[in-house]
Amino acid sequence: MIPALETHDLTVTYHKRPVLYGVDLAIPEGNLVGIIGPNGAGKSTFIKSVMGVIPTVGGWVKVFGKPLKENITRVGYVPQRGSVDWDFPVTVMDVALQGTYGKLGMFRRVGKKERMLAEEALDKVGMLPYAKRQIGNLSGGQQQRVFLARAIAQDSDLYFMDEPFVGVDAATESAIISLLQDMRENGKTVVVVHHDLQTAPEYFDMLMLLNMRLLAFGKTEDVFTKELLQKTYGGGLTILSEIATAAAKENVKASHD
Amino acid sequence: MIIDTLALTLIHKALLASALLGLMCGVLGTFVVVRRISLVGDAISHAVLPGVVLGFVISSQLGDPRNPWIIFGSATIVGLISMIVVRQIIATTRLKADAALGIVLSGFFGIGLFMKRSMLDLMDSAGGLDSFLFGNMATISETDLQAVVIVGVVLTTLVLLLMRPFILVSFDSLFAETLGYPVKLLNLVFYTLLTITIVVSLQAVGVVLVSAMLIIPAATAYLLTDRKIHMMLLSMFFGAGAGVSGSFISASVSSANIANGAAMTLVAASFFFITCLLAPRHGIVAKWLKSKRQRHKVTTENALKAIYKLVEPTGDPRSAITINDYQTERRLETAEAKLQLKALKQQQHIEYLDKQQLTLTPDGLKVAQTVVRNHRLWELYLTSQANYQADHVHDDAELIEHLLDEETVRQLEAELNFPTTDPHGMPIPRPEAS
Amino acid sequence: MDTVLLQLDAFLSRPFQGDDSGLWYVLMAFSVALPCSLLGCFLLLRRMALVGDAISHSVLPGIVIAYLIVKDLSSPWLLFGAGATGMLVTVLIEMIHSKTRVKQDAAIGISFTTLFALGILLVSLFTRNDHIDADCIISGELTHIIYYEALELFGKEVPMPLITSTIVAIGAIGAIIVFYRLLMLSSFDAGLTASFGINPKVVHYLLMAVLSLVVVTSFRAVGAILVIALLIIPAASAYLCTHRLKTMLLLSGIHSAISSLAAMYIYVNFECSIASAMVVAGLLLFIVAWLFGPVDGLVWKWKRRYFRSESYDYGEVDH
Repeated sequence: MIPALETHDLTVTYHKRPVLYGVDLAIPEGNLVGIIGPNGAGKSTFIKSVMGVIPTVGGWVKVFGKPLKENITRVGYVPQRGSVDWDFPVTVMDVALQGTYGKLGMFRRVGKKERMLAEEALDKVGMLPYAKRQIGNLSGGQQQRVFLARAIAQDSDLYFMDEPFVGVDAATESAIISLLQDMRENGKTVVVVHHDLQTAPEYFDMLMLLNMRLLAFGKTEDVFTKELLQKTYGGGLTILSEIATAAAKENVKASHD
Repeated sequence: MIIDTLALTLIHKALLASALLGLMCGVLGTFVVVRRISLVGDAISHAVLPGVVLGFVISSQLGDPRNPWIIFGSATIVGLISMIVVRQIIATTRLKADAALGIVLSGFFGIGLFMKRSMLDLMDSAGGLDSFLFGNMATISETDLQAVVIVGVVLTTLVLLLMRPFILVSFDSLFAETLGYPVKLLNLVFYTLLTITIVVSLQAVGVVLVSAMLIIPAATAYLLTDRKIHMMLLSMFFGAGAGVSGSFISASVSSANIANGAAMTLVAASFFFITCLLAPRHGIVAKWLKSKRQRHKVTTENALKAIYKLVEPTGDPRSAITINDYQTERRLETAEAKLQLKALKQQQHIEYLDKQQLTLTPDGLKVAQTVVRNHRLWELYLTSQANYQADHVHDDAELIEHLLDEETVRQLEAELNFPTTDPHGMPIPRPEAS
Repeated sequence: MDTVLLQLDAFLSRPFQGDDSGLWYVLMAFSVALPCSLLGCFLLLRRMALVGDAISHSVLPGIVIAYLIVKDLSSPWLLFGAGATGMLVTVLIEMIHSKTRVKQDAAIGISFTTLFALGILLVSLFTRNDHIDADCIISGELTHIIYYEALELFGKEVPMPLITSTIVAIGAIGAIIVFYRLLMLSSFDAGLTASFGINPKVVHYLLMAVLSLVVVTSFRAVGAILVIALLIIPAASAYLCTHRLKTMLLLSGIHSAISSLAAMYIYVNFECSIASAMVVAGLLLFIVAWLFGPVDGLVWKWKRRYFRSESYDYGEVDH
């Protein structure tokens, strides 16, 4: 079967410092995948670079067997809640509709179908009653639900979500996770950046242990082991990060690809 | 030769004033650049205009037209008010800093222009007002100059005295607060000094280009040093340099009326762009030279590595190969191969036995062994310590082999328990032994 | 009563007595203020207000160089020259910011002051007896438009600069309408935009290009310094009044219309430049929005705080 996401030698630098170094990965379709690792391990960077939001300096990414550009409408992205200005003058409905823009393009008018999609999505996350509200007047949990509704309205097959559980209440957290599980049941693949080790084994089918390089990827029960977690969180590979920094400074990784 | 004494004093006056304001702007500019409030300086320089007009009106009404103290005073007060308005807009609305600054900058300036026209009757010599907009050294009078000198000396002394708390507050105001520094008061003092500097410089440089004198010398200094004291001294040097040479150019090219502020700014900007190019560590040229050296090193090392791989199976690293062998191994055109070997010969890494045959010199062998060792060590490190697959590490090692220094290599060897073979079973050479 | 009405009538018609020049001034002011106010909304939301300021200063050398080549102030080449240096400054800022360790704010300050100084230098070296002078740079020369060539339209002699600025305004508004979704989306969530396969940098430079063109035409009317007032003050006032982007754009446009018209009355009564009158009028409207804006109005906040503290007191008693 063609993997939903495949990366090879994915390398990303930020301000000439390596954030990801040679990540090789193939995620099979229909899984709920958690990315875990310490702060600054490159978790968000991984999904941002896969989505083409930030440039890579090496390696490639394939989505359902094709380069991202050719399959871009099959991929949905939910950025961190803190990455946007919640004072922006748009309503909840406006944000949900943004999800349909990927397939609609930037110039075609929003029609009945798009409105339906957005309303359905808002209904699923329980935000339809708030459709006319300005997004700044929502709680953190509600804002996250709106982002999720936007993702649902995108109607993609593969989703990337950046820390969807940050700053949300317990009720929203369990609502979100059951929604994600529903999505998996419908054959979607969902990749979630997660930072809570407590809940990780309970939430996800598969885990990616990331700390600049990929330490392990596989079924949660195989990967969520003391030894691997220690390797992920224990630092230790100072030489790798030093040398990778030197490599980024010299730009060798960039000139290579 | 007849020296025009009047013109001479004029030039001296202008040079003195511009040196002083260059120093002042250099000192305050250091903090402005470090605190990332460059555009606050720009906003203040525009927003003081109503205060300048008011100063002209008040001093005219008091029968002492163009008294610099009154003008500086009222302009400084209005400048501080403008900063309070900016803070209030940010605090009470959803508007962000950039919008608040834009509103205050243009709003206050518009009011100033409006007042300048509508209060024309209340002023004795409104002509001098224009020099605050564009900057004109020629309009600086004896009393102005006295005021500039006094303000400049007092202000620079104050900043030098308050240096340490200022630096601390600029870098980490929270930390400063925990140390018991009166952060709010220090900030008020800082903004007052900044406003005064701007106001005093206005007459010489004009509204728009004051911020150039604040930012550019300090930014130039920032490119050259990491130490704050050095940055401040350099910034003062560049500021005074730009001030003096700018006003000198503008005064000596008498055929054209080169605005003083424009000349100073362009001199300062040329300092900046030259520094961008030539700065010893951060400069573009320095970086370019470094990457060129690195490319040269990589080419040499790759060539020697190829020769080493050819002789490795024979067991004798100094055995001979032919040009043809080398050409085939590296899949090169004949001319290209000859060129590379010629370069190696020049560096005395190889020597020719006859027209076709060549061997590595002891030097060349050492370099070759080092590269091959680095390559294999790195492959081993990636597979055994960093969880990479063995079939995936070669490309990476191709790049990293040129970057490892001896210290890192010793660390790697220690961490890997002084290995003798790489993941593919090839021996890891020891250049020291040869 | 009648005399009051008569006085009012006299006051209201004062700017428009005599020839058509009053009408042309208002239309000219509005035709530059409107596109500025709409683009300003996006600048404000993208937190780039001061980049607008940088561009408005940087068009000066472009205008002067183009003028020195074609020797005609109404030539469209001035638009191109100014547009080119306007774009140059955005590239320069990006370059200084990315190639050196100088931060964004200082990079803006360095770039636009250098280009502005270059413009001033060129003005003082080459154009001393021409139309580009100090006053024009500071506050524009809106009233000079009637000295330009005129074109016969609808039986009236319409000055050329007005026609140019109207064309630019229509073009800019058209671009905003066509690219509305792109502008909105990339201003709100650049990450999502990029994940749709659209490079937000392209949107950025597109916006900067339109902005440069609009700023050039405004330069003639309001000079280099006050353009930022036309860009930001209407947008900020509108922002304080609404939660909807489309409403914000509409209110911003209305703000520009009111301040253009009000400026005429300030101009005839106080003999100031029209440009500073526009800023003063716009600023008054901003203060009204700041105090009474439905969303952010200070008055409502004070009221709410008053009531809240009252109920809080009750709460204390209950406790």
